[in-house]
Amino acid sequence: MSTALKRVLIGSLGVVLAFGAWQLASKVGPLADSPMPSAGEAIAAMFRLLTTVDLWLSALDTLVIAVLGLLIAIVIGVALGVAIGSSPLIMHATRVVVEFLKPIPPIVVLPILVLVLGPTPIMGIFLVVIGGAIAIAVQTSAGVFDTDPVRKATGETFGMARAEVLARIVLPSALAYIGTAVRVAAPTSLIVAVVAGLLGGGPGLGQSLLQAQLAGNQPELFAYVLILGLLGLAFQGVSSLIERRVLHWHPQFRKENP
Amino acid sequence: MWQLTQTSEFLIDIGSSLANLVASFVIASFLGVLLGLVLGTMRFLSWLLEPAIHFFRAIPPVALVPIFVSLLGFGNETRILAITVAALFPVLISTIDGVRANDETLDMVSKVYRLTWSERLFQVTLPAAAPRILSGMQVSLIAAFVVMIASEMLGSSTGLGAKTLLAQQTFAIADMWAGIILLGIFGYLATFLFDLFRRRILRWYIAAQQQERQL
Amino acid sequence: MTHIHTSTTAPVIDRPVRLEVSALKKSYTTKKGDVPVIEDLTFDLRQGEIACIVGPSGIGKTTLLKCLAGLQPITSGQAMIDGNVIDGPPEELALVFQEYTRSLMPWLSVEHNVKLPLKHLHLPAEERRQRVTSSLEAVGMGDAAQKYPWQLSGGMQQRVAIARAVAYRPEVLIMDEPFASVDAQTRFELEDLCLRIREQFDMTILVVTHDIDESVYLSNRVIVLGQRPAKVTEIITVDFEQPRDQLTTRALPQFAELRSKVFELIRKAG
Repeated sequence: MSTALKRVLIGSLGVVLAFGAWQLASKVGPLADSPMPSAGEAIAAMFRLLTTVDLWLSALDTLVIAVLGLLIAIVIGVALGVAIGSSPLIMHATRVVVEFLKPIPPIVVLPILVLVLGPTPIMGIFLVVIGGAIAIAVQTSAGVFDTDPVRKATGETFGMARAEVLARIVLPSALAYIGTAVRVAAPTSLIVAVVAGLLGGGPGLGQSLLQAQLAGNQPELFAYVLILGLLGLAFQGVSSLIERRVLHWHPQFRKENP
Repeated sequence: MWQLTQTSEFLIDIGSSLANLVASFVIASFLGVLLGLVLGTMRFLSWLLEPAIHFFRAIPPVALVPIFVSLLGFGNETRILAITVAALFPVLISTIDGVRANDETLDMVSKVYRLTWSERLFQVTLPAAAPRILSGMQVSLIAAFVVMIASEMLGSSTGLGAKTLLAQQTFAIADMWAGIILLGIFGYLATFLFDLFRRRILRWYIAAQQQERQL
Repeated sequence: MTHIHTSTTAPVIDRPVRLEVSALKKSYTTKKGDVPVIEDLTFDLRQGEIACIVGPSGIGKTTLLKCLAGLQPITSGQAMIDGNVIDGPPEELALVFQEYTRSLMPWLSVEHNVKLPLKHLHLPAEERRQRVTSSLEAVGMGDAAQKYPWQLSGGMQQRVAIARAVAYRPEVLIMDEPFASVDAQTRFELEDLCLRIREQFDMTILVVTHDIDESVYLSNRVIVLGQRPAKVTEIITVDFEQPRDQLTTRALPQFAELRSKVFELIRKAG
């Protein structure tokens, strides 16, 4: 049996064991008396949910908020990043502000957004954009700043105009940094979209999660969490795939992903 | 706004948030590194548990808060548990990564000089993995911070997050802004302090990297 | 097939054998079958001797070292150190690696780097400290004990690695192209350091090198490898006087002779 096959089998065994442990814990021991549903109940609820239209609509809501927000964040982030990174002056001037803003997660400004925009999809998109744009801008500016000066000089020697140098030399080389930033921002977008629903009252799976909790519907609550997990995995998988497709030629990418 | 920050109430909230964050983060880091060491060195165990771990990691940590609330109610334990679980996974995963990635030369040195397994683990593998582990801890810190706020907004009446949300809902705009700004400063300080800590521990790594770059 | 070239017998020949390699064969098993790297190596090393292994690039010198260090299993034949068969890293052996920067622990000071292998030897603390100090002094790094590897130059780092090996007091010290990555000046210094260590600690040293001059300068015997898979082409005795000196020894006509001979052998074999 090949090693790869062995790994998959053992891994699956692990997942089964995890669910088994869950099932056990819900029947025996300190958690038995708690409202926690058994694995079986949760999974049953999950399958039931998957057959409802509502679930898919909610999921769509969340996904749309996440993806749209991500795309806008990329556009804004890259534009800002290029602007900042092209000028050493601006790089240094904005450094302090950026260093301060970088570690602050979007959840902090959620209350304002809800106040101003209400519990709407727009609020969700805004939140995702805020979360992603700053990180992407920072990475992009670093990528632009770090472009090999020799390459830039080569371009200029060949008579390229500044805009051309930017588009044909700087951007492609900064693409690796941008790729990394997007790869990190993608799952975050999904999370933030859920947060917008859960805490901000916006539509989507976050909202559904909240409702289930308020209604005391335990199996559904756990089912939603499972669904979110699967969605998260799918999202990560897709964004990894896209990144690979777009960047397979880039030497930095190849170095990190043999 | 500044007057508000002086009121004892706010200070209690800040203290409560801070205590939860710090305690949970420390516990999560400890557990994460410990488990990571075990899983990183025992291949079979890691094959068994890793897919499950990756699945759990994919769940937005914020989504776990309602679960803990439904199981444990609105008390402090819920918040601590939620933050700890959220912070556990990034550290765990990066520790496993760090332990696995061994430098061939250091490996040979350990073998030739016949270091005992505990010497290898704690004096070679662990320090070598430290850069990765600390990167993971950085991610954990942010996750912990987010879940701290979320757990307060969802299931509590004390804590900065809770108070800020309350202010928003009651249109106490000034209070809300105070809360937001304080949270922002909180987040920044936490990251800043962690960065100092990281620099201290990784002094050798940072210096070695600089040397490499100059060569 | 193998001739031992003798002119005058070196006193080393009377001393006990420390390392004995007999008909050592090493092949790697790949999907396409067995790939032999080393066909048949036989040589030995006596106490207090410095021997250099030279040969064309890629012939398997590093593989040989890994086998001797117990890092790779020997396919057939055997290697013995002090009469014990090698089938895992032997206690009596220490290795100095080519990549000195990566062989030192960057998070430990020089002193702790040297001390690390000594910990499990259960020495009394005083003796351990003594060994560390004396080894560092022997390599000329006596006052760098508190420094960190990244504060040192390449040559200094290699000295620390040598100190670490010396403090271990191995029966046999093996060095894998130890001076390949330092500049020429430092290289001469380190070669002389090697000779001094042998004098001071009566150590038995096996050096793998691709620098022919170095091999003739350092050795009592030069073991030339050739052919693929590798075999011993010839073992050449180098019988200059000790102590050797970079200027005078290298100026001897015999030096040029021997070095041409080695070069010839390598070129033919490669």
